[in-house]
Amino acid sequence: MVMDANLSVETSRRWVLVVDLDRCTGCQACVVACHAENNVPVVGEKQAGYGRWMHWIIIQRYWEGEYPNVKARFMPVMCQQCTEAPCEPVCPVFATYHNEEGLNAQIYNRCIGTRFCGSACPYKVRTYNWYAPEFPEPLTEQLNPDVTVRTRGIMEKCTFCIQRIRRIEIDAHAAGRIPADGEIQPACVQTCPSNGLFFGNLDDPDSQVSQLARGRRSFRLLPELGTEPGVIYLKGGETNV
Amino acid sequence: MSMPKTITRREFLKIAAGASIATGFTSAVRSIVIEPFIYPPEEELPGQATWYASTCRQCAAGCGIIVRTIDGRAKKIEGNPLHPLNRGKLCARGQAGLQVLYNPDRLKNAVRQVGGRGSRQFEPFYWPDALDLLSSKIAALSSTERFAFLGGLMPSHTYRLTSLLLEALGAAPPVIYDLQSALEGRSAVSQLSQALFGAPDLPEYDLSQSDVVLSFGANLLETWMSPVAQSVAYGAMRQGSMGRRGLLVQFEPRLSSTAASADEWVPVQPGAEGFVALAIGRIIVEERLGHVGSHQSQAVLYQNVDVRDMSAASDVPVDTLRHLARVFADADRAVAIPGGYLSGQQNGFSSMLAVQALNLVIAQVGRQGGMFLSNPGPTAALRQNPPVNTFDEVMDLIRRMKAGEIDLLLLHSANPLYELPAAAGFFEAIARVPFVVSFSPVVDETAVWADLILPDHTYLESWGYQVPSPGADRPVVNSQQPVVSPLYDTLATSDVLLGLAARLGGKLAAALSWRDEASYLEETVSELHGSSLGAYSARTPSGFWALWRQYGGWWSEKQIRREPELTDIVQKPLLIAEPHFEGDPQDYPFHLYPYSSITLSDGRGANLPWLQETPDPMTTVQWGMWVEINPETAEGLGISDNDVVQVESPHGSMEASVVIYPGIRPDIVAIPVGQGHQDYGRFAQAVIGSNPMALVAPVTDPDTGALAWGATRVRLKPIGKKQVLARLESLDGNGRESLG
Repeated sequence: MVMDANLSVETSRRWVLVVDLDRCTGCQACVVACHAENNVPVVGEKQAGYGRWMHWIIIQRYWEGEYPNVKARFMPVMCQQCTEAPCEPVCPVFATYHNEEGLNAQIYNRCIGTRFCGSACPYKVRTYNWYAPEFPEPLTEQLNPDVTVRTRGIMEKCTFCIQRIRRIEIDAHAAGRIPADGEIQPACVQTCPSNGLFFGNLDDPDSQVSQLARGRRSFRLLPELGTEPGVIYLKGGETNV
Repeated sequence: MSMPKTITRREFLKIAAGASIATGFTSAVRSIVIEPFIYPPEEELPGQATWYASTCRQCAAGCGIIVRTIDGRAKKIEGNPLHPLNRGKLCARGQAGLQVLYNPDRLKNAVRQVGGRGSRQFEPFYWPDALDLLSSKIAALSSTERFAFLGGLMPSHTYRLTSLLLEALGAAPPVIYDLQSALEGRSAVSQLSQALFGAPDLPEYDLSQSDVVLSFGANLLETWMSPVAQSVAYGAMRQGSMGRRGLLVQFEPRLSSTAASADEWVPVQPGAEGFVALAIGRIIVEERLGHVGSHQSQAVLYQNVDVRDMSAASDVPVDTLRHLARVFADADRAVAIPGGYLSGQQNGFSSMLAVQALNLVIAQVGRQGGMFLSNPGPTAALRQNPPVNTFDEVMDLIRRMKAGEIDLLLLHSANPLYELPAAAGFFEAIARVPFVVSFSPVVDETAVWADLILPDHTYLESWGYQVPSPGADRPVVNSQQPVVSPLYDTLATSDVLLGLAARLGGKLAAALSWRDEASYLEETVSELHGSSLGAYSARTPSGFWALWRQYGGWWSEKQIRREPELTDIVQKPLLIAEPHFEGDPQDYPFHLYPYSSITLSDGRGANLPWLQETPDPMTTVQWGMWVEINPETAEGLGISDNDVVQVESPHGSMEASVVIYPGIRPDIVAIPVGQGHQDYGRFAQAVIGSNPMALVAPVTDPDTGALAWGATRVRLKPIGKKQVLARLESLDGNGRESLG
């Protein structure tokens, strides 16, 4: 973050995530990596059955056609980090806000659990802590010390692994350099076995994500809502002839 | 808006106060900085971490990992970016490895069962006493033939030390068996390599460079063989180079998540996959397809094959076969893969041979985009990878146990009571063994029947090495090292073996003379020092030992692919072997298709809450246990989603909720393995369900002795009860419970 003397903020970053549906195999590695990185709690079978699961990223699966001409398609969905985020204006306590890098951030200690943001979100990617998370000892040892453990009554969601962004930025700053394109990787991007996820700066026209975003296969979810998501999908299937 | 970090809260309040006074005198509009009263997530300062390189042990693949540790505690596992196999990537099971280490149901010390075997009443046991007791049991054996060792996915060095110990004793070598290996056909594939190429090493398929991939029941993007390496290659095959997109065709009776990623799914009649390969081969040879020149020498392979017969037997139209033959033969680079489902039939070997023969017909053996053989270990000691025994060999051990010929049984990383078909009779067999010792870190179904449990460290606390098989495109040896100190009073099984040898003295002490496992490893690994191939070099053995651990192993700097040499088996006509199934088709109208779960694998992941909570990619079920049937079949039986059915085979029965599954043949009943644990910890036992191995007939492919796990027929009976599965997917279309 570069700041000038007048306290105005100058940023040249718009973080985006590119999801290549042609590479996604639905393997769930991103889902578990996200749990491990972000201290996402596990709710158990009963609560999961009520839809109270806490995954920050899910792989939606869509069936098409009927046997034997049937296909299944996968679509990983996480917080879309909207530019015009419907979740932000509805929060009565400013717990959800927009930061300078285009991310929708959440201040957990401010959240009073109205769940307005979850209702407003058209992508249904926010999750709510209906109960206090349980980590039977010694599972507390698995917790990432860089990420707050949320408690009952708090809304949470994907942050693009902001702690990992900061970790690389701080290291790069100490070394007197700027992070290279692709150096910053959220946990899902880092682990994706088929290299189907890309992360980077959309404001840099040379970055890999910018190049992919300009490609013919790119689209965004529910574009008609005008949310201008920070997650860009690349179509799968037979589109790259 | 934001504040610079140098301004403290107190200073901010002063400025804010001044600003409000200022606004009182002027009409200027200005915005107020909203300063959070705590640090928002973006201002967290990361702690200092230490990263250790090691090897993932969640399956047999052997991916390189790096583990982030803070204050002596492991915090995150990631793929080792330098490792030639997985290149920084990891699957769901690999990511969940922290919960193996921090599992709340781990044994904290050696225990003996005091209320009698099966009582689950354990009492802590002092380690030196445990070793004294075990060595006295060995010394008291009337004959060393009465000593048996059953292993699963054992660390290579523990396997080798076990072999040395058994050899010095004059006892039979360890028997290695696990369900995942059976499901992926590990021993059958090894035998196929031996027959075709004169070497037991597993094939390695160059997916990333292939234009057309025909996968016959190989779940290469899920659990089969080396799923991460294969997924990396799959991604490159799809979008790795401009203007090229590889084609993947999947032949199997159920649309797996690999088939979901494929361009075409061909639902073949169970056991007829080999017929499809034979027909495709026949068409290529007959119509002189492709660009290899003459197929004259291969005509003999297909002289008995009739395409129409094969089409009828496999349920694949002739036109489809012809189309696929053309696409396959005309591609610049193509490859055919014989997968695990083929090995699980009584004609498995013939089917796998027919598929591998396709690579010969289009001359893709040892060619870019085709198939290669895995590089074995670069030195003699490292070449002794634990082999997987056949089911027949396991049955022989069970027979000896039942006959009262075994007095002492040791079990390492094997859970046969869960992983073997119940009809194999392991339960009756173990009851006949007077003394049983398990090295399991948790109380699993088999450890419940042990007298002693001597818990090994978990893999993040352990030393080791591994030659991955199937391997990468170059010789690789993984290193494994403790990333944290052992959490509890557990002891490395290798050190137990060395301790036993020292106690027993004589020949044994001479054969296993190392001070501890680390010194054994240092000696074995030093054989690699000085190799000119290595990606790094060290001046001294100590320097090499340090780099070996820092890199997470040793590997060649350059790509070295191993081209297979053909034996003369490929000059005889290929056999057309009919599949056989257990159970009368009249009484048991469906084929049972048990499959390895992408999250729980063969059940070894069932005690990890992250993996239980992770939805199955196809059904989106979390935590649960289910039976998949075709919509048409469900309609015929009058059942709908979540209805509980009884699945019955000639060997056993179980109950589970139904998932109506559009991508499955109407004559197939598919059940994931992995749930239905009686023991194995709170998370595994939390799930209501049964183990489908109760249904599987203990029959084998006579050519390989491998378990024909797909050769059982079953029937379905609704029991008039509903049990709703937890699913990510909303069946009523209303989405998840309203957040509002």
